[in-house]
Amino acid sequence: MSGRTFFYALWCLGVMGLFLLSASFAWSPFAEGSRARTHVGFYGPTHK
Amino acid sequence: MSLHLPCPNCGADVVFRSPALPSRVCDYCRSMLVRSDSGVIKVGEAAALPFDVSPVQIGMRGRVDDKGFEVIGRVRWAWTDGAWNEWLLLFEDGGNAWLGEAMGQFMLLWERPFEKVRTRTLRNVAEGHDAIPGTEVTLDKEKLVIADARDVVCVAAEGELPFTAPSGWKLYSVDLRGSQGECATLQRDSDEVTFYQGRYVTLAELAPRGLRAIEGWKLPSYAA
Amino acid sequence: MQPDTALQPPPAPAARALTCPGCGGGVELRAAGYTVHVACQYCGSILDVTDPQVKLVTAYNQAAAELEIPLGTRGVLRGVEWEVIGYLQRSENGAYGWEEYLLFNPYHGYRWLVNVRGGWSLGEQLTVTPSWISYDELRVGPEFYTHFFADGEAQVDYVLGEFFWRVAVGERVATADWARPGAMLSREANASEVSWTRNEWLPGKEVQKAFGVDNRRWVWPPLPHQPSPWGAWLWTGLKLGAAAFACLLVFAILFGGTQWSAAGTFPIAADGHEQSVTLGPVTLPRRYQSVHLRAEVPRLENGWVDLDYSLVDRKTQQVFEAYGAAERYSGSDSDGAWTEGSRGNAVSIASVPAGTYDLVVEYKANRWTGARDYSAIDSGWMAVANEPQVTVEMRQGVLYGSNLWIALFLMAAPLLFGLIRHLHFEKARKDESDFAPAGDDEDDDE
Repeated sequence: MSGRTFFYALWCLGVMGLFLLSASFAWSPFAEGSRARTHVGFYGPTHK
Repeated sequence: MSLHLPCPNCGADVVFRSPALPSRVCDYCRSMLVRSDSGVIKVGEAAALPFDVSPVQIGMRGRVDDKGFEVIGRVRWAWTDGAWNEWLLLFEDGGNAWLGEAMGQFMLLWERPFEKVRTRTLRNVAEGHDAIPGTEVTLDKEKLVIADARDVVCVAAEGELPFTAPSGWKLYSVDLRGSQGECATLQRDSDEVTFYQGRYVTLAELAPRGLRAIEGWKLPSYAA
Repeated sequence: MQPDTALQPPPAPAARALTCPGCGGGVELRAAGYTVHVACQYCGSILDVTDPQVKLVTAYNQAAAELEIPLGTRGVLRGVEWEVIGYLQRSENGAYGWEEYLLFNPYHGYRWLVNVRGGWSLGEQLTVTPSWISYDELRVGPEFYTHFFADGEAQVDYVLGEFFWRVAVGERVATADWARPGAMLSREANASEVSWTRNEWLPGKEVQKAFGVDNRRWVWPPLPHQPSPWGAWLWTGLKLGAAAFACLLVFAILFGGTQWSAAGTFPIAADGHEQSVTLGPVTLPRRYQSVHLRAEVPRLENGWVDLDYSLVDRKTQQVFEAYGAAERYSGSDSDGAWTEGSRGNAVSIASVPAGTYDLVVEYKANRWTGARDYSAIDSGWMAVANEPQVTVEMRQGVLYGSNLWIALFLMAAPLLFGLIRHLHFEKARKDESDFAPAGDDEDDDE
């Protein structure tokens, strides 16, 4: 196996790893929404 | 049935292995001998063979087409630009063939009666015309190309031979070559035309035993 | 019958010594019996050795050139030991010069070690004649060759050592070449014969290991039969990349998709004031998930709806925000009727941790006045009679399809790079051919 093939295989593994990592965090660079500062005040019932 | 007879010149023991091979050169005094029903006569003297590093030698054995053979004779030919060897092979079934050795390439050839050859170009050459290298020729439905055509002269001989090979014997020799390794040779002199057909072989595929040892060179892996 | 191992004669000597009639130096013949001409290594004179009386053919009085591989060097190539016995410098009428070393082994015959601009090949004379497939293509056994050079003429410029023909400085042959990846077929013809040689491309490392030559010279443009260093890798790489992407695809099919969480349909006020509704509660079970929010406004026409989403964790009051807008416009102009935008809008929120959430949707409807008559008093699509509503649907998932495409792009990028390098190499290689399609060929040797 030439050096190039080896490094490309490593690269593919890396990309796969990144993909799985993004899946474990359910993350995408294209997502519109994200965490915001904690809102002042309460929303919704906080107790039954 | 091997025949052992004394050399008429020096008395040494000479052997004739086949009735088809009545000529030979005495290994000791280099007399050219011919055997007939009345005995052995000397017909001339063979020139000494020049030094060479051919891997083939008399006594070498091998196999081709599932038949074993032994190298029993050699004729050395020369032309203006070089020389080559033709080794006589005797098969275990009594047949014989020639192994032409030039520039490290080997042609295995069986004699074939020229009367049966119908190719016009070759018949023209047999009648005395020149052969043109590069001409395409069809032989038995196979395409061959004339590879070269040259005047050759016999230099020396040794061992057992089907004919007497006197030094100085001149021939016109034409080699043909095909696309799968097939080859053929036509030789004519003032009296007759002989024709040989066969193929290129490598020394390895002959499974040789008894290759000549050459100082400083390891015997190849294909030699037993 | 003689036994095979009867008294063994001593091994034949490997070389025959003779004296150069030009300078008196001792010359050793290593291929005695085959060698026809030998150029004395001391004075360069060419000697005819077909006769026991060694004849002087051409007298030279020059010191032998310094060879990269000196005569007499032995090296092992492809499992066979070879001795360098001859050396030639040839050229196309003095230009594009190259070197040829004649290799010899009494049990294997002759080979040529050819050096063109630093690229090495191992040549062997053919015992077969090639078959003509077409004007451009030849076949020898299972291999096909494409015409590369035509109408060439090679001349001998310098000779050293032994040769099996009457080599002479200045002798010329007509040449033509055909190439395939890794091997080249060369045809040489003069008045009396035609010979074919198959030259196999040798990696520099192999020649360095066998004969100790310097390997570091960069060969450019590539030799006609030089294999592209990227070609083989590209094919393996493509298979690797395809396999890796297939794994990701399988994973995406298994774990992709979204699950429905909540939905609701809400009225839109005709006066366009900001409204707020809450969907939920929704429990998000996974450690992290993506939340996809889709809003549909079926009656939307020439207006837009702002949507501010806030996903609030009941326990921690952590807020995740997103903004979306559904907008749609239509009209007609000189080109005919046109529409722009869409009645739906989808946004997503990434990396939402587990918890119980309420989705607060603050929405405000707007009318686009645009090019319309300002005197229009109707509320357009927001009119009560139109029953404008907004439907909000919330789904949760794990994978983003866009990530799959990003992964594909990342995995393909090195392959694309390799492909560009490969095509660049092949173009440079093919441009050297006499049959290159581009007209700008400076290889004419007139």
